[in-house]
Amino acid sequence: MNTDPNPAAPISTQLATAAEVPADEIALEVERLNLHYGDTQALRNISMRIPRQRVTAFIGPSGCGKTTLLRAFNRLNDLIDGCRTEGEIRLYGKNIYDRDVDPALLRRRIGMVFQKPNPFPKSIYENVVYGLRLSGVRKRRELDEIVEWALKSAALLDEVKDRLDDSALGLSGGQQQRLIIARAIAIQPDVILLDEPCSSLDPISTLKVEELIQELKSRYTIAIVTHNMQQAARVSDFTAFMYGGELAEFDRTGRIFTKPSMKRTEDYITGRYG
Amino acid sequence: MNTAGYKQHISSQFNAELEDVRQRVLAMGGLVEQQIVDATRALMDSDSDLSEQVIRNEHKVNQLEVFIDEECSHILARRQPTASDLRLVYAVIKTITDLERIGDEAEKIARMADNLSKQERLAPGVLEIHHLSKSVTQMVHDALDGFARMDVDTALAVAREDELIDREYEALMRQCITFMMEDPRTIRRVMDIIWSVRALERIGDHAKNIAEYVIYFVKGKDVRHLSIESMEREVKGG
Amino acid sequence: MRATAAQSQESGRALVGGAGSRLDRYLRSGEPYIWATAAAISLAFLITAGLLLLLVSRGLPHFWPAELVQAVYAVPGQAPQPLLVEIRDHEAVTTRRLQDAGLPVAATQPSYERLLVKTGNRELGGVDFRYLLADWLQQRSLPADASVFERLEWGNFHGYVLALKRDGQVVASGEQAWVEYQALQQRIDALRAQRRALEKGAIASVNGQLERLRLAMRHLELEGRTAQDSPGAFAPLMQRREQQQAQYQSLRAQLAALDAEMARETLLVRAVSGQQRELPLATLLRGYRPNGMSFTGKLRFLGAKLVEFVSTEPRESNTEGGIFPAIFGTVLMVILMSVIVTPFGILAALYLHEYARQGALTRTIRIAVNNLAGVPSIVFGMFGLGFFVYFVGGQLDQWFYREGLPSPTFGTPGILWASLTLALLTLPVVIVATEEGLSRIPGSLREASMALGATQAETLLKIVLPIASPAMMTGLILAVARAAGEVAPLMLVGVIKLAPTLPIDGSFPFLHLERKFMHLGFHIYDVGFQSPNVEAARPLVYATSLLLVAVILSLNLAAIAVRSRLRERFRMLDH
Repeated sequence: MNTDPNPAAPISTQLATAAEVPADEIALEVERLNLHYGDTQALRNISMRIPRQRVTAFIGPSGCGKTTLLRAFNRLNDLIDGCRTEGEIRLYGKNIYDRDVDPALLRRRIGMVFQKPNPFPKSIYENVVYGLRLSGVRKRRELDEIVEWALKSAALLDEVKDRLDDSALGLSGGQQQRLIIARAIAIQPDVILLDEPCSSLDPISTLKVEELIQELKSRYTIAIVTHNMQQAARVSDFTAFMYGGELAEFDRTGRIFTKPSMKRTEDYITGRYG
Repeated sequence: MNTAGYKQHISSQFNAELEDVRQRVLAMGGLVEQQIVDATRALMDSDSDLSEQVIRNEHKVNQLEVFIDEECSHILARRQPTASDLRLVYAVIKTITDLERIGDEAEKIARMADNLSKQERLAPGVLEIHHLSKSVTQMVHDALDGFARMDVDTALAVAREDELIDREYEALMRQCITFMMEDPRTIRRVMDIIWSVRALERIGDHAKNIAEYVIYFVKGKDVRHLSIESMEREVKGG
Repeated sequence: MRATAAQSQESGRALVGGAGSRLDRYLRSGEPYIWATAAAISLAFLITAGLLLLLVSRGLPHFWPAELVQAVYAVPGQAPQPLLVEIRDHEAVTTRRLQDAGLPVAATQPSYERLLVKTGNRELGGVDFRYLLADWLQQRSLPADASVFERLEWGNFHGYVLALKRDGQVVASGEQAWVEYQALQQRIDALRAQRRALEKGAIASVNGQLERLRLAMRHLELEGRTAQDSPGAFAPLMQRREQQQAQYQSLRAQLAALDAEMARETLLVRAVSGQQRELPLATLLRGYRPNGMSFTGKLRFLGAKLVEFVSTEPRESNTEGGIFPAIFGTVLMVILMSVIVTPFGILAALYLHEYARQGALTRTIRIAVNNLAGVPSIVFGMFGLGFFVYFVGGQLDQWFYREGLPSPTFGTPGILWASLTLALLTLPVVIVATEEGLSRIPGSLREASMALGATQAETLLKIVLPIASPAMMTGLILAVARAAGEVAPLMLVGVIKLAPTLPIDGSFPFLHLERKFMHLGFHIYDVGFQSPNVEAARPLVYATSLLLVAVILSLNLAAIAVRSRLRERFRMLDH
């Protein structure tokens, strides 16, 4: 009754719980993270370790703070007025909330894909190179190469290679979302955050994106927020269940979906009255 | 683990489906239990009518298995159950397989009883079977009880019981061999007895399997192929 | 089973009947409201179309060559009077009014037809226009050789060509004189253009140089130096002044030669009253015989007049000639205004929407901005005069143009101040429209940009501004529409009825922001209400109004074209 989806994975994922992932395989380490929007506390005392080159899914009811946590990883919450963050998030050991960290540079190392595909009203090519131009890449040949690589990695190249100069808004929803992923990986980040990336896509596009996530796993650390539990079960190696701003349970996905240790997790994933 | 937990789903349809499956498993269990009782009675009383009835009823067991199997695959496809729901459906699928095998064994015993009832003389050792059959019937009953209440302690007791059954089986076998050595003319009849004893022992093993599925459902732990001591450790430990 | 069938039949009938009376049902159907909305839009359309139609029908006839009617005007009890006139208008007037005016009309009929005629020959009759009773205008005919001459002064001359003279000698007479005159008029036009180019070009440039030299010397004097103290500073200036003056003299000589060349020919003409006059060709702009013109000839004449109207300067206190300086001034002022208000308004909106903390203060500012749009424009004019012209302009003069004092440079109304005032007036429109555009940009796009490592400034520049640009253009379109039609504040801050120079010309620094300028709106007011020659001016008011509408329309169309291109580029999926 081995429920691990990936029996050939390295030893670390075979360990009983995620807490035992060795230190050198940690990408993001959250320690006693508290986050307030004005007077309301959105995240409560969260501590977790997100392993490198694995897919970590965040599930939980609406308003449980999973998207907020995801946006804390690239400090996107900073943009919101009245948002205070306490505690630490360490990216490979460096606290991203340190005073000397430039959020813009941080965000170049942590890419993000949003709930609704949000391509810029520019050409497909310009969308992909947007982040590169910001980091100062000017040479046309270099840009061309990265565009090709990123679109290929996002499994989109074949569909768009003849119309790179067309507006990105002409693509279908699924293609747009893969373009957004290409845009995110073009800056070659360490971590990719996916905030309900398939919530506005049809099932086939969803499968394509999920397939892509599996392929990207070998190079990137991926954190995905999803409302679709089957999706979390399909794509992730680890699953974090959040409830009321707290991290209720964090474990290997196989375990969470067969024998969660918390009643609340069980009730949520089986669809019971909590 | 709350035994009635599956009734708390937001989807009442899902609740109803799970409850229906559970009820049918219990009905199938009741039927199988009755088959064992009837088969062993037929054996001991040389009641050919009864044994024929058992043989006739066997197809009902098979039908129930197919029906429940289908229901379970529908639940898997449509509800994609997780956690305890997943374990329940999984345990049901496994349980009905074992129940069906128990039904097969009961039919086997009934056929032996039919054979023996056609002999003019009572086979030696028939009376000795009586005790074993009672134990096995009780064990199946307990396993189904454990399933019905999703009770780990009952399930553990059933697993423990299986060791006694095994010992009794050994003793019965030795006895039968002694009969055959004493009077070679009885060999043909004693062989039938041996087959029946063997069938009863197999029923015990299946009952133990069912008990193990109950433990898996409740505890989420796979306790198959473990010694009874490590099984108890696993169950109590977690 | 039967019960159910009956029931469903019942509910089926409920669909047919509907509750309430017929009127009720009609009202609920919504049809009256559709009619009301349609009526509203048709009314708006009709009013607009009617306005344009009125402007065209009243404005264009002014440029159409009217026939010259020769007749005898016989007022009972007075000697009959020969006339050669253009009939411009006719109306019915009650006998009573005519009697009150002292006209000897018989009371046998209730009203008489009265004509408005253009007599021309102002130097002979004293007036251009006269009211005549149609009944007394007798023996009407349309002589083919009756000619109209447009002149630089004294209005048109109506009469007959007798002879063409060169240097006082008759070189042609009768019909031959007319033919030769036609050819000579073109030569005169060419010479006049040459003379004008000389005046506006070289001479104006020399005058500008001289003025600058004068100011430079004044500047030195203001520093406390005199020609005796520091000859080193003054000598080169003096020397250059000498040179310029010498050049000026030679240019004057060229001008005089041109004048002499143009003054050689004169045309001897006879008015219908028999008086003869010699018209120097140099003063003639155009001569034509409307009675002999074919329809296409008249059309061609109309075209030429229209071209003249939009491309030349006004003459005779704005009642003749063109209105080019007014068009030029209007367009330039609007462009200057746009150049000022666009960045200013966009920056203000950006700060208000993107950077400022949203709170009581920003709300107050927003309300203040919106209210600014409701302030009467004349108040802006007052502010412009008080603040820009007297305060800012006065200070500028004190600091940079002291040598020009006491005559002010910037301390007087001018196109810069007019543009600034209108920029202030239209600022709320641009701010509101831009903010509207900014708030329509989905937050997800900003986040996407930030998430790719862009700073807020980079996000603004690369994502927000381009996408909001159509909204900014909308603001600009509204601003242009408002500014181009505004007159009241301009009267205070820079518009005059007749500007000697355009705000842009060939002399350094080419764009003269301190100059006063002409404006179509003000021109309409001036011609319509301040003109000494009301009858001549009336059609001009309509024509100029039409032109103002056309100018605003084309400015708007240009902006709309830019906007639709931007929209196409930054089209959003959901918005």
